[in-house]
Amino acid sequence: MKDIVIQLLAAFFGGLGVALLFGMRSRHLLPAAIAGVLSWAVYLGMDAVTDVEFLSCLVAAAVAVIYAEFMARWRKTPATLFVIPGMVPLVPGSSLYNTMSYAVRGEMEAARAYGTKTLLCALAIAAGISFVTALRELQTKKQ
Amino acid sequence: MTLTKEEQNRLLHGMLEMGDLLLNCGAEVSRVEDTLERMTRAYGAEHVEVFVITSIISMTLAFPDGEPITETRRIHSGGGTDFFRLEKLNALSRECCIEPLPLPEMRQRLDKIAAGHKPFPAVFWGSVLTGGCFAVFFGGSVWDGLVAAAFGALICLMQVWLGRTKLNTVAFNLLVTLITGLGVGFTTAVIPGLHMDTIIMGDIMLLIPGLAITNAVRNMLVGDTISGVVRLLESLIWAAALAGGFMVALVIVGLLH
Repeated sequence: MKDIVIQLLAAFFGGLGVALLFGMRSRHLLPAAIAGVLSWAVYLGMDAVTDVEFLSCLVAAAVAVIYAEFMARWRKTPATLFVIPGMVPLVPGSSLYNTMSYAVRGEMEAARAYGTKTLLCALAIAAGISFVTALRELQTKKQ
Repeated sequence: MTLTKEEQNRLLHGMLEMGDLLLNCGAEVSRVEDTLERMTRAYGAEHVEVFVITSIISMTLAFPDGEPITETRRIHSGGGTDFFRLEKLNALSRECCIEPLPLPEMRQRLDKIAAGHKPFPAVFWGSVLTGGCFAVFFGGSVWDGLVAAAFGALICLMQVWLGRTKLNTVAFNLLVTLITGLGVGFTTAVIPGLHMDTIIMGDIMLLIPGLAITNAVRNMLVGDTISGVVRLLESLIWAAALAGGFMVALVIVGLLH
C-alpha cells in the first residue's frame, strides 16, 4: 500500500516535471500532473485484475487520452499537451534499462525478454492512443 | 478575402514556416496537414494539396483566379517537444480560421512565435523534477531520487551546451549517456547505499524517445505510414545510441568494482 502511494505521488510530480520540461504554461500544469497520476492509477487497477501487461498499458493509455481530449476541449489547446504527461509513467524506461543491463552482463535470455517487453509496451500505448483518437475523428467527421 | 499573386506566394511561404514550426514543436504529421489545409482555405484557396512527412513539407495552392503555386521545404526536426510554442501556434491557427488576419500581421505573429523559446528555468527544474521523481517511481529511495535529480540538472545543462553545437542526435545521446552513466557509476561507488539502476532509470526518462516511438506507431496505425516508418527507425536508432552510451559506462564502472 505504501508503495502504491509513493508511486502515485511520483507519477504526479513526474507528470508535472515533464510538463515543465516541455514548456507548459503554468495554468495547465495541474491538469497535466493529474494526467500522469490518472494513467498510473488505471494501470495499477488493471494490473490487479489481469496478468496481461499489454492490456493494462493499453487501457491506461486510452483512459489518459480520453481525459486529455476533455481537457483540450475545455482549455482550447491541442490534446497533445495533456496526452504526453499522461503517457510518461507508462513509458518503459525501466524495461529499456534492464534490457541493456542484462545484455552487458551477457545474459541474453533475460535481455531478450525485457527487450520484447519494452517494444510491446510501446505498441500498447500507441494502440491505446490511436483507438481513442480514431473514435474522436469518427465523431468529428459526422458533424 | 481575395489575394493578389504576390500575396498568394507570401501566404504559401508563411504556411511552410508554420508547418516547420509545428513539426519542431512536436505536433503530429496529420495535425500539421490538417492545420495548413484549414488555414489556407480560410484565406480563400480553392484547391489545397499538402503533403507532410517528418523531413519534408510540400504544398500546392490554387486560387480561383490563378495558376497553382507550389513550394517545398526540407525539415530538420530533432523530434523535440515545445508546448509553449505549440499552444501559441494553435491559437494563431484558430484565429485565422475564424477571421483571417491580414498577411503581414500573420507573418509577424509567426516570427514572434519562432523567436520565443520555452523558458529555461522551467526546463531546468522540469528536468530535475522528472529525473528525481522517476528514480523514486522505479523503486529507488529518496536519496536515489536526489542523486537522479542532480544528474537531471547536469543532463539539462549538457542539452543546452551541446544543443548549440548542432551535434546530431545519435552522437549527442551517446555522449550524454556516457557522461551520465560514468557520473552515476562513480557516485554510487563512492557513496554506499545508493542504487545505480534506479538512478539511471530515472534519468533515462529525460532522454528516452518513448514519445517519438509512440507517435511513430500511432502514425502508422492512422495511415501516415511513411512518417511512421521514418520516425520509428530514427527513434530506434536514438534509443540504441542511448543504450550504447550507458552500456559502455556500465562496462567501465563494472571493471573498476
